[in-house]
Amino acid sequence: MDFTLSPDQALLVETAHRLLADRCSASTLRAHIDDRSIATQVQQSLADYAPVAVADCTDACLFLDELGYASAPGPFFATLIAVPLLQAIDHDILNAVLTGEVAATVGFGGTLIPDADLVDYIVLVSPSGAIVVETRDTVELERVNSVDHSRRWFRYAKVHSYLDAESTPAGHRSRLDAATLGAWRDRSHACAAADLVGTARRMLSMTLMYAKQREQFAKPIGSFQAIQHKLADMALGLERATAAVHFAAMTVDAKTDDRAFACHSAKAAANDAAVRILKDAIQIHGGVGFTWEHDLQMYLRRATMGATQFGTTTWHLDQIAELLFAPPPR
Amino acid sequence: MRLAWSVADDQFRRELEAFLDANVPEQAANGFDFQGEASGGELIPSWLREWQACLFDNGWMIPGYPPELGGRAATSVQTMIYLEVMAARRIPRATHFPGYAIVAPSLIEYGSAEQQIFVAPAIRGDTIWCIGMSEPDAGSDLGALKTKAVRDGDNFILNGQKVWTSYAMVASKCFCYVRTDPDVPKHKGISAFIVDMESPGIDVRPLRHITGQADFAEVFFTDVMVPAANLVGPLNGGWAITQGSLAHERAGLWVEGVARLEQTVHSLVDLAQRYGKAQDSGIRRKIAATAEMASSLRALGYKGFASFAQGSSAPEHSFMKLASSEAGKAAFELGMEILGEYGAVVDAVAGEDAGRWVTSFYISFANTIAGGTSEIQRNIIAQRILGLPRS
Repeated sequence: MDFTLSPDQALLVETAHRLLADRCSASTLRAHIDDRSIATQVQQSLADYAPVAVADCTDACLFLDELGYASAPGPFFATLIAVPLLQAIDHDILNAVLTGEVAATVGFGGTLIPDADLVDYIVLVSPSGAIVVETRDTVELERVNSVDHSRRWFRYAKVHSYLDAESTPAGHRSRLDAATLGAWRDRSHACAAADLVGTARRMLSMTLMYAKQREQFAKPIGSFQAIQHKLADMALGLERATAAVHFAAMTVDAKTDDRAFACHSAKAAANDAAVRILKDAIQIHGGVGFTWEHDLQMYLRRATMGATQFGTTTWHLDQIAELLFAPPPR
Repeated sequence: MRLAWSVADDQFRRELEAFLDANVPEQAANGFDFQGEASGGELIPSWLREWQACLFDNGWMIPGYPPELGGRAATSVQTMIYLEVMAARRIPRATHFPGYAIVAPSLIEYGSAEQQIFVAPAIRGDTIWCIGMSEPDAGSDLGALKTKAVRDGDNFILNGQKVWTSYAMVASKCFCYVRTDPDVPKHKGISAFIVDMESPGIDVRPLRHITGQADFAEVFFTDVMVPAANLVGPLNGGWAITQGSLAHERAGLWVEGVARLEQTVHSLVDLAQRYGKAQDSGIRRKIAATAEMASSLRALGYKGFASFAQGSSAPEHSFMKLASSEAGKAAFELGMEILGEYGAVVDAVAGEDAGRWVTSFYISFANTIAGGTSEIQRNIIAQRILGLPRS
């Protein structure tokens, strides 16, 4: 049992942090609101990291925490989620994806599809495991505007019937077994949680800095107990969620029996931490936290959306309850 | 990062399991809930004193210590495995924690060469200790304590009052914090003494707590004579020891707190099934949230374990202390909610397990108050971990 980072993992975190600070600063992110080409530039700068998608889930989650911290735009996350599916069906675009030349995204059931405008391929999966890989221009997508400036979301209304009606010609379509699909879903929950936790960490650090600098009643507001206790609870939520993500990622790598429980727990903890932190971040910033000009809004918007994708807290708790009340036979 | 334990650690676990299988007293064979037993029984049952001595003699009382102090020089990871196994099987080491958990490490770190003779009996349970910390006007603000000691030749003369002193009515020694210099800033005028509870001038008055039991007391000191040789550490150097004492108290508590929370999750599922709430989505989600909390806290405990294990006063303890105590309280409250109109019934016949849930709910406040309240933990997190300025 070891939760400490290996030297390689520490190096991964440090280099990813520096690269993203350089290529995806707050001002870059702000420029991206009106200029989508910036997402492509950010994606190109991350090409060397494409193989993270086939690394251990722990390494992937450490990288995604930094990606979320920067709230980086572009299809890096979407591609990382798609890779295990491409691996499972041994798809021939896999090599190009891992060199960073090709990007992909995933539509699972009726869920929203991240960053589909910037990818080359879309992997469509049905809840029963039917899977099709399409080039983007062959799939009819509609943009779904959300509060999130950093990631664009889309939907393909016919995704269910398209896959389950088995209308796709045989040979073009594959089918995942339940275990493979379950493993992919668990890993996706851990990865989505890692990205969300990173964004929450960014908001907490901005709020801490503000509380130390902003003075009222001739004192830093961070010296007041009401503010201190809010920040203590925010920090506890973040630490708890971060540990839950690391644990979940390790269960994915070790394929342990408690993997599904750990991954549902990680996303539930991440949702709760992110929502608590974004609410108190605005509150502690006061009026300025409520403005468009302040950078906080870009991170809290990504977190607001992130907490509703890949399972809300209620949904994950319902899945945990299923495991507790009717544990699957071993 | 990896989930697997080393071969040596697995071997350690097997040795412990084998020792427990062969030696656990029948009273604890299926787990022992001290809080339930104490209400009608002895404060320190004799079988439990024998068990504590047995653990000591076999090197299983504090595994990280050397054999002469009841251990086997185990590594910090092995210490955690030990705490996990004991908690999972609900096997107590002792009911009276102050001696082995607080006094012993404080004396090892700060005591004189002569005072080291007190350490082994404290860990073995041969000597029962209480800790004189809180006073009527010094609770969370421990530095404001007023009980004073004045030098008189080779002795100090103590006067004052302590309160919430656990096990004072059965203790033979008190590790007592007193003011030795009233003219300096409050934290700089405190000293620690070993006080013999048989000394003339000590009056112990048991306090019943909220459930009706009495395991703590008020202690009054009137012109109590204490030899100067019983001063622990430097004169006026007691504050540093108080900080260490609390750290020792917190260091291993999270393992027990998390294990208890995990056990409570299973009890809640069972309770919901027996009381027709297994399909109640509100109840199911609350139980699931409790399970999620237990799981993430275990992960956080492991993550912070490097500093916990070293017994240092790592402020990260505060995260675990705050979260596990509050989650425990909420879990017992949830049990009462599942019981509905029987939630507060303690009737031996009509009540669920004679009111176990409401009694545990009350007792759980000890965890959010003692050893630094939840509010003090938030102050520590804000100031020592997050670096916010003192208010």
